[in-house]
Amino acid sequence: MEMKSIIVSHDNKTNHLDGVTTTIPKGEITTIIGPNGCGKSTLLSVLSRNNMPKSGSASLENRDLVMYKPKEFAKKLAIVYQQNDVPKDLTIEKLVSFGRLPHKTMLQRNQEEDHQAIDWALSVTNLVEKRHNDLEALSGGERQRVWIAMALAQQSEILCLDEPTTYLDIYYQIELLELVKSLNEEYGLTIVMVLHDINQAIRYSDQIIMMKDGQIIAEGPPREVITKDVIKKVYGVNAIFKEDDEIGLYMMSLGI
Amino acid sequence: MTKRIVSYAVVAVLLIVTIVYSATTGSIKMGFFEFLGALFEPGNSQMEAIRDLRFPRMIVALFAGAALSVSGVLLQSVMRNPLADAGIIGISSGAAFVQLFIISFFPALFFMTPLFAFMGGAFACFLVFALSWRSGLSPLKLILVGIAINAMFTGLTEAFISFGGSLNVSASSVIGSNLTMRTWSDVSTIATYGTIGLILSFVLYSWCNLLVLQDKTAKSIGFHVTRARLIIAAVAVLLAAISVVVAGVISFVGLLVPHIARRLVGYDHKVLIPFTALLGALIILLADTIGRTIVSPLEIPASTIMAIIGGPFLIFLLRKE
Repeated sequence: MEMKSIIVSHDNKTNHLDGVTTTIPKGEITTIIGPNGCGKSTLLSVLSRNNMPKSGSASLENRDLVMYKPKEFAKKLAIVYQQNDVPKDLTIEKLVSFGRLPHKTMLQRNQEEDHQAIDWALSVTNLVEKRHNDLEALSGGERQRVWIAMALAQQSEILCLDEPTTYLDIYYQIELLELVKSLNEEYGLTIVMVLHDINQAIRYSDQIIMMKDGQIIAEGPPREVITKDVIKKVYGVNAIFKEDDEIGLYMMSLGI
Repeated sequence: MTKRIVSYAVVAVLLIVTIVYSATTGSIKMGFFEFLGALFEPGNSQMEAIRDLRFPRMIVALFAGAALSVSGVLLQSVMRNPLADAGIIGISSGAAFVQLFIISFFPALFFMTPLFAFMGGAFACFLVFALSWRSGLSPLKLILVGIAINAMFTGLTEAFISFGGSLNVSASSVIGSNLTMRTWSDVSTIATYGTIGLILSFVLYSWCNLLVLQDKTAKSIGFHVTRARLIIAAVAVLLAAISVVVAGVISFVGLLVPHIARRLVGYDHKVLIPFTALLGALIILLADTIGRTIVSPLEIPASTIMAIIGGPFLIFLLRKE
């Protein structure tokens, strides 16, 4: 996916994205990080067509995003939002089957391939045994996986995740990021996500886009982007970096 | 699953019992077998009276109940709000006012009444939507806006009637609901449009189910949220408007029936919408039958009975929210 000089303004006063140009590489995990209000979620919403840019263009496979029909686009790109209302009296399987919408016409029943896609989505997110359970009865980590399963049922090539770990305990955070990693490695999905935790970004990303005040400050592989200078410039924090044999590079913030 | 089947069966049986009871009770009374016999006996004068007076009234009650209840389900789905009801939020009174207005000034357009009622209802629906949109259609805000819209249209209608006495409009048929003196031509109106509306709503069930998702999520799976909302709302307004045209304004049915229905058969609109139609038909026919038999020869309109039951029910729901 490519973006050229994207400008987005929610209130027509300040630009929440101010001339963003970048390329999301296919088949990799790209993570957008930056302080609160830097425009990272806005960038994701432009990619997923939830927000239309004031100027500039975003394209997928050399075709402008606005040229795609809704269902056509939903077959290319799926997104999981940070917060989701939980509908009443809905089983996991029903919700996940909503993800098949772009592959169907209005009154069409689920075909064999729909059932296969739903089964696959439930099995990779480890929800097969709970498929008949109500959503309301699930834990936060499980709910997040259900929304991911719905997005997976779309069988898109690109999966976007907006702060998928924010409301989760650390156990579920790791579980979720491992899931994301396996989706990328085993099924070749292109992943674009927004994360808060810099160490998680370093560890799970191929590419990092570092943003501040609606602009991209640095982008590239984690080791090139996340440096002492960049952290100081973007977050205003003094940090040190260490290497660990097992997990590689990690960061500790020292002070402000 | 079994709860659904039992619920359907119980409501179906109750509906049949109520229909028979309603047909055989009133100023002309008949036993069940006497009624069955008379039904196929030509020239039975009592049966003629029942056929001309009671049957149209009953069929109108059945259709109005089904139409208003399904209208409630659709509005609740479109507005993602459990308290939406065509009567409470002003759609019915909007329809009633525009209908009255047009007929008063252009009596020649009488045959197009359903269309004007639809336009009035659609306008009220649009106002409610537009004015509560910014608060994210929060249940309380929507109800408040709706009550204001309802008051406005009801007031306009009343004002119109009080200075337009010479316009020769039967005011009572517009303001309140009165199911007496319905004719077979009323039946054909509500049966035609009501059936169209009900069939459309059965077809729209999958859209209603998808509207439980937040807009951004629904959009992300390629769902035309706005288009679906417009179409479902239009069907809801059609159902409400046609009930107003034939049966007058009856509030609270669209609130009461869907809530009971959800308790019994769940939230899946594929099952919920047909069940709501059955239950709504039962409730209004029951209310009308009780209303005309309990203090006979006087009558209590079905809308009054619904308001007496529905008011406290709304308070109960508001407290739960």
